Amino acid sequence: MTRLILQRLFYGLLTLFVVSLVVFLATQALPGDAARAMLGRDATPERLTALREQLNLNDPVAVQYGKWIAGLFVLNLGESFANAMPVAEYLGPRVSSSVALMALAAIVATPIAVAIGAYSALRRDRAADHATSMVTLITAAVPEFAVGILLVLVFATGSLQLFPAVFAGSSEAVLESPEQLVLPVATLVIAVSPPIIRMMRASMIEVLESEYVQQARLKGLPERTVIWRHAAPNAIGPVAQVIAVQLGWLAGGVVAIEFLFRFPGVGMALMDAIDNRDIPVIQAVTLLIAAIYIVVNLLADIVGLAANPKVRVSSR
Amino acid sequence: MPSMHNHQEHQPARSDKGSAFTPSRRSVLKAGAAGAVVVPALSACGGDGSSGSGSGGRLKVGIAGGSAKDTLDGHKAVDNTDIARAHALYAGLCYFDTDYTIKMALAESIEPNDEATVWTVKLKEGLKFHDGSDVTADAVIFTLQRITDPDDPTSLAGQLTTLDRDNLKKVDDLTVEVPFTDPFVTFLDVMAEYLAGIVPEGFDPENPVGAGPFKFKEFTPGERSVFEAHTDYWQEGMPYVDELEIINFPDETARVNALVGGQVDVISQLPHSQIEVVEADDNLEVLESETGMWLPFTMRVDKAPFDDERVRQAFRLIVDREEMVDQALSGHGTVGNDLYGRFDPAYNEDLPQREQDIEKAKELLAEAGHEDGLEVELVTGPISPGAEAAAQVFKEQAAKAGVTVKLKQTNSTEYYGDNYLQWTFAQDFWSSRNYLSQAAQGSLPGAAFNETHWDDEEWVEIIEEARATVDEEKRAELIKQAMKIEYERGGYIVWGFVNTVDGFNKKVKGLEPSVTGHPLTTYGFHLMRIEG
Repeated sequence: MTRLILQRLFYGLLTLFVVSLVVFLATQALPGDAARAMLGRDATPERLTALREQLNLNDPVAVQYGKWIAGLFVLNLGESFANAMPVAEYLGPRVSSSVALMALAAIVATPIAVAIGAYSALRRDRAADHATSMVTLITAAVPEFAVGILLVLVFATGSLQLFPAVFAGSSEAVLESPEQLVLPVATLVIAVSPPIIRMMRASMIEVLESEYVQQARLKGLPERTVIWRHAAPNAIGPVAQVIAVQLGWLAGGVVAIEFLFRFPGVGMALMDAIDNRDIPVIQAVTLLIAAIYIVVNLLADIVGLAANPKVRVSSR
Repeated sequence: MPSMHNHQEHQPARSDKGSAFTPSRRSVLKAGAAGAVVVPALSACGGDGSSGSGSGGRLKVGIAGGSAKDTLDGHKAVDNTDIARAHALYAGLCYFDTDYTIKMALAESIEPNDEATVWTVKLKEGLKFHDGSDVTADAVIFTLQRITDPDDPTSLAGQLTTLDRDNLKKVDDLTVEVPFTDPFVTFLDVMAEYLAGIVPEGFDPENPVGAGPFKFKEFTPGERSVFEAHTDYWQEGMPYVDELEIINFPDETARVNALVGGQVDVISQLPHSQIEVVEADDNLEVLESETGMWLPFTMRVDKAPFDDERVRQAFRLIVDREEMVDQALSGHGTVGNDLYGRFDPAYNEDLPQREQDIEKAKELLAEAGHEDGLEVELVTGPISPGAEAAAQVFKEQAAKAGVTVKLKQTNSTEYYGDNYLQWTFAQDFWSSRNYLSQAAQGSLPGAAFNETHWDDEEWVEIIEEARATVDEEKRAELIKQAMKIEYERGGYIVWGFVNTVDGFNKKVKGLEPSVTGHPLTTYGFHLMRIEG
């Protein structure tokens, strides 16, 4: 199994490399360069020349990429074109803001979604189950930013002015203004929950119909024990992978949500960097998101493998 | 330099809302159609006598735009948030007041010699920078040299090419002689720009020191910046608030929501679609100002079909200006007369307002050999709110005269990319500026932004003469002549001027309309107070 994991890790790194190359080439295909994007309409030839000189934009494309990748090996992400700050220093507070947002969403979403899924399975084909199916189907189909806009309309700008509609605090200390986090977290929770709920429901139903649960019931065990000791632990296995995938999605899905709520995280930084053709920042953020995705999926695979005795044994 | 407006701004193309505007071109400081009546609260401020400075909390301001490229360097301000910060941090020798007259700021006087080749700047006595050092002649010299540094030119450098930067002369601690290689009558116009803030020697944009109403405290690019009151500000008793926080809002919905939710006290650039929302809220108010900001169509006078003066005039006659203001700006603007420099004291009032005349336009087009119709490509993009809508409206109006307009959509990076200033028929936007300054920017051959490639011999001669004429009356006469020529054969279609519309919480006092085209009383944070 260790070999399998190492193999996956190697492919993960290869994927990251390809991602960085593709993203770099894509930024080259965008019209205009960083100097143009930054000076906008004020781009007189003299100022363009001066700025291109400062940013080393006159180097051949291959040299620019080479310098960047060489820096990466010594963990140097380079400097932002837009504000000349080291990328790591610029992104640092934003990464922690985003991580805080995602962690809050994950902490809230996972237990709630699992509980709702299990409850739905126990109430199979009754009103509560149908209602859950309907709601999860709809929320899964609606894009997350639409959910966000709806929440803002209902809870922030409409008659119910319960929570602020935007985040107006600092990226240095997002947790200091918890009321401003309510709506972005709620949006993410609603966005990631439906697949978890549906998977938990399906898995729970399957387990409840299995022979060992019937056996437990026939033994005369109380229903509570049947469900929590015998059914739930076995149902959760397949759900873990869905949870992992959903958390991986969070890393990318957070981009639109951050823009909507003006949350100062990596998502905002990425949108900004694309506008400014700020290649070092674009590279760092896309690699980060890709890395999270790969790591989360790898973890999910490991959990899946570990939970499957056949694989565990055969690959020894 | 033109102020950059936020690229992400999108305005609804249409509004059925009727306009209550009657186009009165020179009505300075007129509250707009939205019914914003804002009482200047300045007169009430004299009451607390000794020092009103720093007596009133933190003012939180939401500004349209901002990104990672945000800067604190006022000489290189590009985006709206940069411009707002420049107004907070720096003070210039002089400034444009809300009616676009030029008033002295750090300078006591700025006088030209008889040929306007040497200007003498006298500073006010006892003025201090944020770090406590004196505002001196050396600082003025340092600033002018920094602005025009050939190795790292800043935004104003293009307007000061005739400055003899090596021969700036310190007469005494408070007096500087500023020489030019050619007569330069518009020196005051240039020095009144927010891009000309005076900075002390050894200025470091990382830790900026100026003489503006607020001094630097915190700054996170792409997010926000915090400033505190400069107690030695040259305007006695100002600023009124202790602290100023400027928060970036690239997205207009988020900006309005923050105002409605009370997270900010004031926002710039309220989208037209949100005016009613703000008006409906008892705590909020709308500030609307007529401005000299214009959104022209640009016709290259050296390229077919616009190299024929009759085609240019026909295109100008195609436009129903009232309809364009109503539709492209939802009525929040004023019609134009194919002339810029609306607030120039020499503005030519004698030229009749041009109206739509399709018959005449068809006639002119036929004379020019286009009796069977004409097809042109109009380059448009989200360069300023209302621009794309104006292009749509033009397309429809042109069809009536047998002109087929094909719209070429671009994004703003492409628009201002390598083809900018090369498009045959396109659009642009310009902020308020006096006629000669604008001509130096956009109409003289050799100007940095001569997008119509205008090079009319007679006109150039008049302008050159005006630029060397110190006598104001004589100069005004020349300007009027030059305006007549542009009116008769120029390459711009100046169909309207755009109002600025801002929103603010009623507890903030001191805001008043300003025609400069910069929102929030020309980012006049020093005028604002928080009550209650």
